[in-house]
Amino acid sequence: MEFRILTYRLAFFLSLVTLLQSCSKEVFIELDGHEDRLVIDGRIETGLPPVVILSISQDLYASTDVNALLNSFVSGATVSVSDGTQSVVLDEICANNVPPGLEEVFAAFFGVDPSELAGLDICLYSTANTAIFGEVGKSYTLTVVYDGVTYEGSTSLQPPHYFDSLYWKEDLNVLDNGLSWVTFTDPAGQRDFYFWECRRINLNADGEPLDAFFRPTFNPAFDDTFFDGLTFDFAYENPHNFNTETPFEERGFFQRGDTVVIKFSKLDEVSYQFLERKHIQMQNGGPNPFAAPINIPSNMSNGALGGFIGYSPIFDTLICQ
Amino acid sequence: MGLFRILLVSFFFAATGFSQSKFIVEGKVTAKSTGKPLTDVKVVVTALGIGTYTNEKGWYALELPAGNHEISFRLLGYESQTTRIQVQGNTKIHVSLEVDPEVLEMDEVEVFAKGKDANIRDNQVGTVKLDIEQLKVLPAFMGEVDVIKTLQLMPGVSSAAEGTQGFYVRGGGPDQNLVLLDGVHVYNATHLFGFFSVFNVDAIKSAELTKGGIPAQYGGRLSSVLDIGMKEGSMEEFGAKGGIGLISSRLTLEGPFQKDKGSFVISGRRTYIDVITKPFIPSDGAFSGTSYFFFDVNAKLTYKLTDKDRLTFSSYYGKDAFNFVTGAEDFSVQMPWGNAVASMRWDHIFSDKHLMTWRISATDYDFSFGSQQDDFSFGLSSGIRDYSSALEFNYKFSPRYKIKYGAEYILHRFTPFSVSANQNDVVFDVGEAQRIFGHESAIFFQNEFEWTENLSINAGLRYSMYHHVGPFTRYFPTAVGVGDSSVTFQQGELIRFYNFLEPRFSARYLINDKSSIKAGWNYNAQYVHLANLSAISLPTDIWYPSTDLAPPQRGWQATIGYFRNFFDNMLETSVELYYKSMNNVVEFQDGALPQDNVNDNTDNLLTFGLGTSFGAEFFVRKTVGKLTGWVGYTWSKTERRFDDIMDGEWFPAKYDRRHDLTIVASYKLSERWVFGTSFVYASGNTMTLPVTWYLHNGDVVFEYGPRNAARMPDYHRLDLSATWYDKPTKMVVDPSSESGETMSVKKRFRSNVNFSIFNVYSRQNPFFLYVSNQGSLAENNFSLSLRQVALFPILPSITWNFEF
Repeated sequence: MEFRILTYRLAFFLSLVTLLQSCSKEVFIELDGHEDRLVIDGRIETGLPPVVILSISQDLYASTDVNALLNSFVSGATVSVSDGTQSVVLDEICANNVPPGLEEVFAAFFGVDPSELAGLDICLYSTANTAIFGEVGKSYTLTVVYDGVTYEGSTSLQPPHYFDSLYWKEDLNVLDNGLSWVTFTDPAGQRDFYFWECRRINLNADGEPLDAFFRPTFNPAFDDTFFDGLTFDFAYENPHNFNTETPFEERGFFQRGDTVVIKFSKLDEVSYQFLERKHIQMQNGGPNPFAAPINIPSNMSNGALGGFIGYSPIFDTLICQ
Repeated sequence: MGLFRILLVSFFFAATGFSQSKFIVEGKVTAKSTGKPLTDVKVVVTALGIGTYTNEKGWYALELPAGNHEISFRLLGYESQTTRIQVQGNTKIHVSLEVDPEVLEMDEVEVFAKGKDANIRDNQVGTVKLDIEQLKVLPAFMGEVDVIKTLQLMPGVSSAAEGTQGFYVRGGGPDQNLVLLDGVHVYNATHLFGFFSVFNVDAIKSAELTKGGIPAQYGGRLSSVLDIGMKEGSMEEFGAKGGIGLISSRLTLEGPFQKDKGSFVISGRRTYIDVITKPFIPSDGAFSGTSYFFFDVNAKLTYKLTDKDRLTFSSYYGKDAFNFVTGAEDFSVQMPWGNAVASMRWDHIFSDKHLMTWRISATDYDFSFGSQQDDFSFGLSSGIRDYSSALEFNYKFSPRYKIKYGAEYILHRFTPFSVSANQNDVVFDVGEAQRIFGHESAIFFQNEFEWTENLSINAGLRYSMYHHVGPFTRYFPTAVGVGDSSVTFQQGELIRFYNFLEPRFSARYLINDKSSIKAGWNYNAQYVHLANLSAISLPTDIWYPSTDLAPPQRGWQATIGYFRNFFDNMLETSVELYYKSMNNVVEFQDGALPQDNVNDNTDNLLTFGLGTSFGAEFFVRKTVGKLTGWVGYTWSKTERRFDDIMDGEWFPAKYDRRHDLTIVASYKLSERWVFGTSFVYASGNTMTLPVTWYLHNGDVVFEYGPRNAARMPDYHRLDLSATWYDKPTKMVVDPSSESGETMSVKKRFRSNVNFSIFNVYSRQNPFFLYVSNQGSLAENNFSLSLRQVALFPILPSITWNFEF
């Protein structure tokens, strides 16, 4: 989203930080203030079941190997979701035993390819009970009871919003590469919160989609503070090819011939605040001394980290021609 | 009220203490070569043990009994002069001193050019006075001699780190320093993100920092006053001086435009980092078109209207310009910022006892940011514009009793945040430009008298006022969906009024001719604030005035010091203790983001709290001999407390620095070579770092620990310099000699070369720390580490300076 330039300080200073980081060295200093806290990574999306992963936060100097990470996940909690009229207790489901039809949701949640699920030793909390699947207009409350403490947080699914049109525009400098563009009209007179993700579904040489799951772009969460009721065009980049395999000048672009599915979600305010700040922190390349030290606000009670996020998406397909 | 009582009592004693059997001997001391007044000339009647110093206008006054006396006039670098006078009534003795031919310009490396026992006798506590010419032999970063960097070598003054803006005095923030250039406020006194100050040393005559016991004529800041005086041009002859360095060059021209009546001086400086780096940036690369430079120009005109009237026009204009262009993304950024200052000053002498100075001035600080990408463009600007006038009178009842009184007025116009954004014809609603207007005014009365030979007291009172007036729009943020409400105030409409009585007091008790005790107490109000979001101060930081929601900062400071000289004033020592308490210091609320400023008032994002700082400053200085210099050590503790941050707990300030040690030395090997060195050791700065991480949707997310709870590794650095001077004289044929004999004459063209090595042992001092995450969880090579960025390794530099 082009409103990323509003974070003007970051646009400039990120380049400075990148330059400066080339002359850095590892140091160890005393860091006080860490305490083990429950992390609640919960989500609910229109037409899908609520999914929750629980873990314990880690000290900055803690081990980061796989075993240490796996040990941080929490089992044995009582997790339930209520829509105000009924409450459903979620089942603890392990990655190697995902109910049929939910592989893609789970894989996206773990950030892996669906084919890799069976090899993961992680469990999450969800349900096949369609009565608690996400519905637009409803509010949901997540309750987690763990180690004698009850954590609670709510989100809601907002009415989705559609684009006027979607198109691909070739970049002036890089042949056959371009950004995804959209013509968009924001509903007037109300605060709206949006979240942008995308995925290329044209097939690679192995006959698999180029991208296994949706990934948010840079600054994917935005609100309509600056364009309430306006119609305008904006562009978003491809977040999937910022890797060394892609030539530098082509990173962030979709190539001519790509088929891209855009997932454009409406959020409620608490979900937006969580995702906006999370992605600002990520965009800064982690904690950045040129940026404010911002902790990400959780909508869960009792000091839990993370949040319970509600997505209300629309999907649109863009053929890059 | 106790203070009024002190003032009345002091007035009474000073007035009645004047004996009718004594007379006033006064006059002006000037430099014979330039006609300029000489400051800090020691004027002494040795037989009576009576002495004083000339003030900034070269004036002195002594109270002497009738009879014959010998008065001596002494100033380092000038030939001493002794005059025999007969005192039968009030007498005027004007003196012109000649430059001592034995003394090179850099005869002795002293930061203080005052009389040798001035540190004992001065009334003022917590004052540092720099001699600009003599700074030039100390090591200089990239060859750029810098007033503020030299001040940072004094106890109680520090920089947070290289690359940070401003300087911190006794635990106060950078906004709590009143920086004056010829009496006019300078809001952002640095170039290049703090690496260089805006003060070109060739254009400066004097620099004095007051960090405690601030006199009543100064106001508007809590922590210190840095008073920079611009140089005046010679009324006798034309001259030029300049320097060529690795990254910048400078040139100063001066001379009379009407001999003995009017003079000018103009001084310019420009960096050429952009020119030097251009060949190393590929024209088709990602950063082609990226450049940075700064320049500044100082100019001053002085004109003697009459023997009693003098007009001075002075101005400064400086700009930093940063451009960032990535060709492939068609993304560009322009970021210029800078100060402009102009003033007119009229000095009028009503009588020998009564002087007046009237000044009108304007100062402007602007920062702007522009960005373009494809069809989108975005602009942001912030700035300050002040128009001010000040009237100050000096009245001398007797040599032992003087007063200053006057008034000051400033019209502030702040633009904390002005944004525009559009995509072709579509203009985004980024709100109205925030503009805030305020009238700041004050009247003051400062009372300086010597109660007895040993006891000297300065007592003053300042009454300051601030009116926040319209036009102004106050926004009241509300819940989502309801829509923000606002109230609009019309032009000139009073929104909020603040006023404070600010007592000032300092005293000196002379124990003997080798030692004294000084004390000071001052209460100050400050109507402007500097708010920054990041751990590092940047030009993007927002200046914000007091408003209906942003109360003025207020604070008091108590200082006491013991001063003792040894070996006939060759070695000066002092210990100063201070305690400072501050109210309404400002921080952004937890979680505030820059974009939250749009369509809102910045002060809706601010929080106000308390601050304290206390410490001890130790200082030893050798002033005479081939080896001169000083050692300073400061122990201090500085904390802040905000109701909205960390549940109201006290936490270390960003400026908290427990230990600070500086060693500065200079050795004059010969008339041609002077060597200098400085060493700095300081506790690491505090900062807020993540202490916890967790996974959310496969992403690594960090949680910050308590505010400023982490401390960076210690800072230390050694710098060296060597300055070579050309021969001061040359041999010419004596025109009066019939046999063609030669004679030695002073050369008009003089030059020197300064070699400096910054960070001799290439210490990697921390500029900032950050958390680095590498690898990926999926590939089991994920790692986190805390890393330190250091800016400057060993940096040699060479500068050629000339003068004619």
